[in-house]
This record gives sequence, C-alpha cells and structure tokens, in this order.
Amino acid sequence: MSSFDIQRPIVELPDQNPDPEFSDEELVWTDAEEEKIEAWKEQYPEDQAAIMKVLWLAQEKFGYLPPEVIKFCGETLDMSFSQAYGVATFYHQYYKEEKGTYVLDVCTCFSCQVCGGYDILHYLEEKLGVHAGETTDDGMFTVQEAECLGSCGSAPMMEITNGVYVHNLTPEKIDDLIESLRAGEVPSFTSMTLPQDEEELGGNRRTDVESTEAYQTQPRAEHMD
Amino acid sequence: MDANGSPQSPAGDWRSYERMLLPPIQDLHKLDVYTKHGGYDRLRRVLEDDDVAPDDITNEVKASGLTGRGGAGFPTGVKWTFMPEPDDRPRFLGVNGDESEPGTFKDRQVMEYNPHLMFEGILLAGYAMHIDTAYVYTRGEYTDWIALMAEQLENAYEAGYVGENILGSDFSMDIVLHKGAGAYICGEETSLMESLEGKRGYPRYKPPFPAQKGIFSCPTTINNVETLAHVPLIVQEGGDAYSTIGAEDMPGAALYGMSGHVKQPGVYEYPTGMLLSDLIYDVCGGMARGEDLKAVVPGGSSVPPIRADQIDGLSMNDESLGEVGSRTGTFCPLVLDEETDMVSFTRRVAHFYQDETCGQCTPCREGTGWLENILARIDEGEGRMRDIDLILELCDNMDGGRTICAFADGAVGPIRAAVKRFRDEFEAKCEASVYPVSTDVSAGPDSAVAATE
Ligand SMILES: Cc1cc2nc3c(=O)[nH]c(=O)nc-3n(C[C@H](O)[C@H](O)[C@H](O)COP(=O)(O)O)c2cc1C
Ligand code: SF4
Ligand code: FES
Repeated sequence: MSSFDIQRPIVELPDQNPDPEFSDEELVWTDAEEEKIEAWKEQYPEDQAAIMKVLWLAQEKFGYLPPEVIKFCGETLDMSFSQAYGVATFYHQYYKEEKGTYVLDVCTCFSCQVCGGYDILHYLEEKLGVHAGETTDDGMFTVQEAECLGSCGSAPMMEITNGVYVHNLTPEKIDDLIESLRAGEVPSFTSMTLPQDEEELGGNRRTDVESTEAYQTQPRAEHMD
Repeated sequence: MDANGSPQSPAGDWRSYERMLLPPIQDLHKLDVYTKHGGYDRLRRVLEDDDVAPDDITNEVKASGLTGRGGAGFPTGVKWTFMPEPDDRPRFLGVNGDESEPGTFKDRQVMEYNPHLMFEGILLAGYAMHIDTAYVYTRGEYTDWIALMAEQLENAYEAGYVGENILGSDFSMDIVLHKGAGAYICGEETSLMESLEGKRGYPRYKPPFPAQKGIFSCPTTINNVETLAHVPLIVQEGGDAYSTIGAEDMPGAALYGMSGHVKQPGVYEYPTGMLLSDLIYDVCGGMARGEDLKAVVPGGSSVPPIRADQIDGLSMNDESLGEVGSRTGTFCPLVLDEETDMVSFTRRVAHFYQDETCGQCTPCREGTGWLENILARIDEGEGRMRDIDLILELCDNMDGGRTICAFADGAVGPIRAAVKRFRDEFEAKCEASVYPVSTDVSAGPDSAVAATE
C-alpha cells in the first residue's frame, strides 16, 4: 500500500447547527443600516440582488456569519434561509466561523508560488505556531492560504482581513508586520503612489511598492514532510 | 535590427510609444485632474453632436478591431451588435472587474490610476447600446480600490457625468458598484450575472446568450474593465487610426502584467504584439536570479505554458502565440526560470482549479480534484509512470464542451500542455518514485482503474 492515500482525507464538517451566538435582540439593524439597505435595494430591479452587500454589512457588524446571522440577512430581503445560506457559503470571503482579529491571507497561487509564497506561508505558520486555516490561541491571527489576489507583480504578498495588501514579503517584513499588528496598527495602504518609477522606462512601470529582490524559491514538496 | 529594436515586432516602434490608458499624469484618478486633461470631453462631444448616433460609436469600436481583454479575446464591436433593438425591458452592462485569473493584475491598475477613463468608457458603451444601468462587478479583495472608485463615482455623479440627463442631454445612465466576495468563477460572464442577481455564482448554459437573456433576463453585455477603458481612446482617435496600433489581429494598446522571475515585474503599457523576448529582457530588465528562462505562461493560468526554446520571435497576439498552441489570454505573462519545478507548478495550478470549481458539472468538479490528487502524488515522489498518461486521459474527458462553462477547458489546457511539454520532468519524478512502473504498461484500457486501487 502506498503511504500516500490518493483519496482525500475526510474532513470533519463544521457543525451545521451550532447554538446561536447572537440573540434575537442583537439581530437588528440600526436606522443607519436600514437606510443603507434600502438604498442598495434601489440599485437593483429585485431586492435579492442586494444580498451580497447585506452579507458584507453583517460581517462587518457581527464579525462573522453564523447561521442565525445568515438567516437574518435573508429575511431582510425576503429570501429563504437556504437561498441566503447558498450565497454565503459560495464565496470564500464570507467567514462562516469566527476568525482571529487579523486574518492573514497569504497568496500561494502560481506567481506567488514561484516567488516564494510557500516560504512566506511556512515562515508565518512557524512564527505563529499554527497551520494554515487555524487561529492562534490568543485569538489574534488566523493564517490562510489564498488564491491569486491580483497583485502578482509584487509577489509574494498577502492581504489582511479582506482589506490591506502587503507586498513583496520577506521574513523581516513579516516580523515587522506581526509586531505592528500586535500593537494594533494595520500598515497603511501602500499602493496609491502616482505615478511611479518615472526614471525607469519613462515611468511606464506600475508596480506595488518597492521593486522585488531576488527570490528564494523552494518547491512545495520540500516542505511537506 | 534598426535603432528602435527588432523590426519584426508587431508592436512596431514600441520604445517611443506614448501611453494612453495609464498616462504619466500625477493624480489622474481625481476628477478635476482627469477633466483638465481632456477627460469626459469625448463623452461631451458625442452627446452634444446631433450627428453622432449610438450606432456610430459601435461602428467606430468595430473599425478599431478592439478585442476583449478579459481573456477570451472576442471582438468588442461585434459583441455590441448582438444587443437586440431597444424595447420596454431595461438593458444592462456588466463591467467585469473580477480579475481573479492567476497571474492577472492589470485591471486593478485602471481602477486605481484611471477610474474615470473606465467610467467614461462605460458611459460611451452605454450610449452606444442604450444601456440603463451598468454594474461594475469588482472582486471582493479589492476593498481599497472599490472605496476609491466609490468616491470618484460620487464626484462624477455630482458633476453630472453620470445619472439623469447626462451633461444636459436626454441620455441617462446609472453606474452601480458591486463587490464580489472571493470566487474566481464569478469572472465567467454568466456566473457574474447570477452573482449580481443575488444567487450562487453558478454559470448558466449558453444559449441564451447575455444579449438575449442576461441580468434579470434582460438584454445584457459583459465587458472587461480594460476593454471599456479603450473605448474613449477609440472615440478620440477614430476606429481606423486605432486599428493601426500594435498587432493587426488584435490591435490597440495593452496592459502587460509581468510577474515571476524577472528583475522588474509590474504592469507596463505598450501596443499589442510585443515580442516576448523584448518584454522579458528589455522591458523587465531580464531574469531576476540570473538563471536561464524555462517557460512563459503568456496570459493567466488558463493558457498553455510555452517552453523557452519556443519563444524566439513569438509576440503577444493570438496569431503568433497560436503557432505554439497558446493564447494571449489576459496579456499578463508569468516568466519562469530554470529553477522552477514544473511538477510542483502544475500541481499548484491544478489546486487552484480544484479550489475554485463551482461544482455544477461532474467532469469539472471530479476531474479537477483527481488532477490535483494525481499531480500531488507525482510531486511527492509516489507517482507511477502511468500516472502521466492518466492525467492526459483525464484531461481528454473534461474539456471540449462537456461542461456548462469554459472553466474546465481553462483548467485542462495548461495542465495538458505542461505535462506534454515538460514530460521529462514528470517522468523524472516518477522514476525516482517508490512505485516505478514502466511506461510500457501505461495508458492501457484499465489504467485508470488500476491506478486507484
Ligand atoms: C472561468 C472563467 C473566468 C473568467 N474570469 C474573468 C475575469 O476575472 N475577468 C474578466 O474580465 N473576464 C473573465 N472571463 C471572461 C468573461 O467570461 C468574458 O468573456 C469577458 O468578461 C468579456 O469581456 P471582454 O469581451 O471585454 O473580454 C472569464 C471566463 C471564464 C470562462
Ligand atoms: S465547468 Fe466547472 S466551473 Fe463551469 S459550470 Fe461546470 S462545474 Fe462550474
Ligand atoms: S499569484 Fe499571488 S497575487 Fe497573483
């Protein structure tokens, strides 16, 4: 028998019927939120189309989307639970379970892979003592492996909690980053510097922060033991 | 060779090319800077000149030969003519800013540096096709850029460029920003429409095509962000003049998103038809680690990779890349050097598709999973020789119209090409394997069964 089982391991499914985290009293929109939702409904011929925006809003408000929150979002737009649940579970960025304060999405997709994305991921995993997909004990960080985040020119890179992009990662940069996040500072958004690299090629190059240094790439297999 | 580089480059004299999509103007993303540099003038001219009919815009775009920059390369003007005559139904434009194709990061530069050019393109397209509302579907990860666009869109509304009776004319149109939430498949046009309607992003069968039955069953056109940003330039220069820029088969400017093992990765604007060698060694300053080139993936993960020994004289247009069985795709080449492990690389590509399949079609849902499984087994040194042919066989059972959308074809194309073109590397990994099986017994009728026992 092969030691490598070609069948994917059976992953334990998350509890589909957890005890509600939020009570009915908590599951209400403020007037300001109601107003936003009404405006979104106006943008589409049918109310249901606003569900993605409502789920985003709920995620901001409640931190994540347990079933009762999804149900609540659906009811806001006259959708059945199964419709709303279908949408919420289709998309990666909706958190169906509680995450750390900072979710670190490290891109390991192909441009980042060949530029050392897995080195960064493994460095981070080791530093924080978690595997990809897990949250640190103090609830500060969740580390995740992401697919291409659309910033391949500054590979390897990561995104912090569906927001800020951090480019051209190195172990040193990770150390600094974790330190500043622990101190409660999210690094400032670095991409809005216009235009860049006027010297090079008459400024034709658009890139995200510093130019990339020579990379250290290791094929993924070497990390797998 | 003349002073301006290789004379055979379809991009012509690219060194003296002046940028149009991303011109070097400080703070161009702001409305006042954009209008100071001629922004929205093209829209104003079209709306104020009674002699310019909507069809004239479509005809100019047709004459320009502009092809879609979302990956499929369909002629944009021709697509616009598929829209039926206006009736009492609303009509929609879906602006595809999902940009999740691995290796692709050029639409974001338009949204960041020149969002008003995109808005102006949307409005001109809207005028040409009698559109009521445009939805800009942007991938959810681009939070900061969506915020930037929202702010600029509001400015454009206030200044009367968008909304009711634009610039005092009787043309009205809304632009709505829609934020995705991390699903590659929502870049596929019918999936994008489903997602917009507040459903799971499951692609639909075609026909009916979006022009007949699109968003909320109304006539719809889907165009890529960059494609629409070309439209004001075409209106300005005239379609015929625009068609002389770059390669003949897909003319115009292009945003080249260079990534991988080059010294200066990033997005560069040049005419279409740039020689790959110019892009790598000239524009990007050569290989980052001083290693030799091994392979190039010319335009996103869904296009077949090219071997280094094939790139001589190849240029970034479909006619040229077609000669080696590849495509321009999204115009974002990934450059790989000799150090790259092509098996690990192909495995990661397979993982992406396994992760992102929507799961509607069995060949795609199951096939992508098995491709990843087999590639992982080879990568980890436990592959059998016959696994290599098993991969190819599996590929043959996934593509070619067996599925609802082209995702499965996009998954199979690069994997099949990588296995065929770098077969020696796959064989080397299988040879070292603890389960060597000679190639003689591979690909037998029972091999798929035998390999899974
Ligand atoms: C699986 C799949 C993913 C796609 N992803 C994108 C995308 O992220 N962005 C995009 O503009 N087009 C994407 N497309 C192409 C669109 O379906 C569509 O052809 C394109 O948006 C049309 O615009 P264009 O003609 O301006 O290129 C994708 C297609 C497929 C099959
Ligand atoms: S081909 Fe794949 S991604 Fe496309 S509809 Fe079928 S299962 Fe979904
Ligand atoms: S591959 Fe990592 S951002 Fe594109």
